[in-house]
Amino acid sequence: MISSVQMASKSKWALIISAAILIVFFLVSILAPWIAPHDPIQVNLAIKLSSPSWEYPLGTDHLGRCNLSRLLYGARVSLGFASLIFAASLGFGLLVGMIAGFKGGWIDLLLMRFCDGVMAFPNLVLVLGIVGLLGPGLWQVVIALMMVQWVYYARMIRGMVVSMKEQNFIAAARISGSSTGKIIRRHLLPNVLPPIMVMGTLEMGWAIMDISALSFLGLGIQPPTPEWGAMIQEGKAFIRSQPELMIYPGLMILFVVISFNVLGESLSERFGIKRRY
Amino acid sequence: MSLLEVKQVTHTYGSLRSFWRPQKEAQVLSDVSLSLEQGTCMGLIGTSGAGKSTLGKVILGLEKPKEGQVLFQGQDLYAMNSKVRKQMRRDLQVVFQDSYSSVNPRLTAEKIIGEPLDNYERLSASEQKRTIAELLEQVGLSAEDMQKFPGQFSGGQLQRISIARAIALKPKMIVLDESVSSLDMVNQTNILKLLDDLKSEYGLSYLFITHDIRAAYAISDVLTVMEKGRIVETYNNKDEVFTSSEPAVKDLVASILPEHPRNRTVSNGKRVVQV
Repeated sequence: MISSVQMASKSKWALIISAAILIVFFLVSILAPWIAPHDPIQVNLAIKLSSPSWEYPLGTDHLGRCNLSRLLYGARVSLGFASLIFAASLGFGLLVGMIAGFKGGWIDLLLMRFCDGVMAFPNLVLVLGIVGLLGPGLWQVVIALMMVQWVYYARMIRGMVVSMKEQNFIAAARISGSSTGKIIRRHLLPNVLPPIMVMGTLEMGWAIMDISALSFLGLGIQPPTPEWGAMIQEGKAFIRSQPELMIYPGLMILFVVISFNVLGESLSERFGIKRRY
Repeated sequence: MSLLEVKQVTHTYGSLRSFWRPQKEAQVLSDVSLSLEQGTCMGLIGTSGAGKSTLGKVILGLEKPKEGQVLFQGQDLYAMNSKVRKQMRRDLQVVFQDSYSSVNPRLTAEKIIGEPLDNYERLSASEQKRTIAELLEQVGLSAEDMQKFPGQFSGGQLQRISIARAIALKPKMIVLDESVSSLDMVNQTNILKLLDDLKSEYGLSYLFITHDIRAAYAISDVLTVMEKGRIVETYNNKDEVFTSSEPAVKDLVASILPEHPRNRTVSNGKRVVQV
């Protein structure tokens, strides 16, 4: 079955548009302190739940905080921490995958069975369990998501290393006198990283959803820090009178996650990369 | 002293031992001994699965045999420290069968041929470039090919790049593992000629691993036939291979196609060559 995301990813415009959207979001998250019209945590009950105006372009929430400013600052949390999760799980997955693939034997067996064990749990359940153990908070969520995501990278990298290790150019490099470190740097990493980066793009979308979902449940970011999932949670009480309090952050999540998915799919389409764990 | 001496090498491949199934072992080499003199070419012939390529890996120092010794220039390849082994490696190079998988697709020809030079010779940038250009010309390519990636070369050209990488350090011996088997006849002939020229120019020794008795006959001084992990026989006079009474050798000789298809007859399901 071909999903609509896969259909959309066939054209090169999908790549350009999704990349452009993401660049805008990243710029916004970096520049938030300069482009946001107000302090996102400045409470002013006198103007609570006000409609859009020149002063507050998207109105204010139940505590009179500027919605636009909160959305812009929210991008910081979502994108920043998703990138952190991506980098950390890629780094750890790379280490474990390389060791397992390169060493083989018992070490490989042990590490991969552990990965299988982690993968046997539904991700969100495992994350909830870890957060429950560590207590709510953004850093705990980040640690929990990292602990769950690295296994996918490790497995994929291990598979690639195992198949690449048998290739003659690795043997030829060894016979040319290259050390193991040099073989990894010069021959393995340049061939392993591009497909992993593409897979990482898809995983970024998931990380953003997970951060928002956990914040919505009150496990992630704690008030008053602005975060999209937490904003949906706070706006929930006003769903009848002011539904836009939920719609704005919802749209943000939608755009970012769709962009990551379309970008990931069109990159893998372009480079002929199949997802495999 | 022979350049290379393989003494009673036995090797097995086993599956990973686990709790619920016993380790299965397949013997791929049993009691293999051979020796190769400086400046000669030994053709190692055998059908698929005879253990030729495994023996090649053992000789190259890539796979430690379960038993036996490999002496290169009188020193045991598997009983030396890594420093000595690194020095040993520069005299013992390889060209593999599949030219596409022998080169890293993300490196240019210059980087591919330059890799052994980086590891052993401390050349200045311009010297290195000149050396690589000379090597490319020596194997019948041009210096302009330096910046090309493997995808821009044909199979035969890539095999020439592999040969250039192998001779970059002016080794004493090269293992040619089915080096011409995946090429068409014209390319095979050209590469064999190139290898022969290089051999007389540098006084190289080859271990020419192949299933093609004609290619082996064309380039070798000595022929060795393997079957099921054993050496069947070594022929110091390579013409003796055609008159051998060993069944395995007879099969290999009988598999040679005649020059003209009309001369091929089939009797009792066995192909017979009419001379």
